[in-house]
Amino acid sequence: MDASLLLELAVNGAFIGMMYALVSAGIVLIYKTSGIANLAQGALAMTGAYMAWIGGTLIGLPIWVAAPLAAAVMFGIGALIERFAMRRMIGQPLIMAIMLTMGMEIMLRGLMPGILGASVKKIDIGIPNAPIILGDILINRTLLIGGLISFAMIVASILFFNSRLGVVMRAVSDDQTASWSVGIRVERAIAIAWGLSAVMATTAGVLWGATQGIDWSLSLLLIKALAIAILGGLDSIPGVLIAGIIVGLVESLATGIIDPIIGGGSRDLVASAIILITLLIRPHGLLGREHIERV
Amino acid sequence: MSLLTLNNIEVVYDSVFLAVKGISIEVPEGGLVALLGANGAGKSSVLKAISGLLRSERGAVSRGQATFRHENLLALDPPERVRRGLVHVLEGRRVFEHLSPAENLLAATTMHRDRTRVTRRLDEMLTLFPRLAERANAKAGYLSGGEQQMLAIARALMTEPKLILLDEPSLGLAPFLVDEIFDVIRRINAEQGVAVLLVEQNAVAALDLVQSAYLIEQGRVVMSGSAEALRANPDIQEAYLAGHNQVDYHAVKHYRRRKRWLA
Repeated sequence: MDASLLLELAVNGAFIGMMYALVSAGIVLIYKTSGIANLAQGALAMTGAYMAWIGGTLIGLPIWVAAPLAAAVMFGIGALIERFAMRRMIGQPLIMAIMLTMGMEIMLRGLMPGILGASVKKIDIGIPNAPIILGDILINRTLLIGGLISFAMIVASILFFNSRLGVVMRAVSDDQTASWSVGIRVERAIAIAWGLSAVMATTAGVLWGATQGIDWSLSLLLIKALAIAILGGLDSIPGVLIAGIIVGLVESLATGIIDPIIGGGSRDLVASAIILITLLIRPHGLLGREHIERV
Repeated sequence: MSLLTLNNIEVVYDSVFLAVKGISIEVPEGGLVALLGANGAGKSSVLKAISGLLRSERGAVSRGQATFRHENLLALDPPERVRRGLVHVLEGRRVFEHLSPAENLLAATTMHRDRTRVTRRLDEMLTLFPRLAERANAKAGYLSGGEQQMLAIARALMTEPKLILLDEPSLGLAPFLVDEIFDVIRRINAEQGVAVLLVEQNAVAALDLVQSAYLIEQGRVVMSGSAEALRANPDIQEAYLAGHNQVDYHAVKHYRRRKRWLA
């Protein structure tokens, strides 16, 4: 195996990783404000991609109109999920809320293909298939652009958390009662987090839909996203970026190196192995926040 | 003119436990009022009834009226009450631990649209509390207890309140810090005209600070009046001010011993 092939796998893997990371950034966003791990993030990505397909193919809008439109609709859907489902879980044990998101994941996974047909939908975001040739490595153009868009959105969300609204959301995650006491509308902050998270999911869904087509299997992004969120530390957006690149790289290299030996299938092993190893060795992840205790 | 009026307020937890049994208090505009009493007397429940924070502890106001500036308080949710000008500094400080002091202050400004006003207010707070300015970029969770208490008060002041409810600001602080905190309370009352409703177990310090006080025992007001009147009351001196006319036990022992010898 020569070095240029490894480099090619690594570069493409890093871009894939950033696209995974975009899905987990949504999980982190919700976790950071409300302390709930949203297990419906994969299905939200899938639903967002279907929405863009409805706009782009069914109605016939150009993709640069259909995709933002889908994102706007998904913001509303995310906020509605908080309003009518998650808000009822206040005061219930945390596990109930997490199970509810799991239920939504399963329901959406069946509902969207059920309504729109189970066949794989094609979505064209106008990126040519021809790879970019850089020296002697080939870079997949869709992955490159998808990775860069994801990177930009993740950086934007890091900046967002330093704005006033972002500070308020971090305050909510620290202490909800204290937030109420200084006039923060806690429910609204959490609804906005769900909305923004759904927008990120939609972007990721459209980018992945463009590379592999849209069907229920898009929601399997959840597994990779969870692996990245856990490795990065559930409440750290920079952690997600780093962990995303790590997972993407390892996955890609594993496919390139191990697959020819064992005959394929190592790609899906990587994410689950990373979840297990992280939880056993470093449960709070790479950049997860420390628990402050004054003595 | 009274700013806040509670009339016969009852607070019930879990629909069965009656913690506050019909309390009526009044805070005048720009006044400094204390609620005194022992542990579990219901002082904090009264404050939470005013700020609306009972709900997160499964408590509720089951009877009575509360009016703030001629408006029925009980119909408003907690963030709305903050917008009307009353703010609650919770017991145990409850700062946002993972945020810096400056971010703590910023988080309390959701009701202000005008950014320049927010920045000006932030600067005001950092001049009022120079120790916070020194540590503006540390995580609030790593501040000392006194600094956290100042941060909690400053955070509450960011909302530009008419009335600030302070729940045991001296809790767990060294005596010189208690003095410093009480100085700050006196200053915000005098300089900014903010009315203060103070809950304290430290009755000595509180009665030096306030104009009037209510003594609460087992969910009822058992005594109220001006600070001088309460300080002069022999029962209060005995129970809460550790008595000025205490029996000198050393003398007692001496006397008895001598008597036994002679007998």
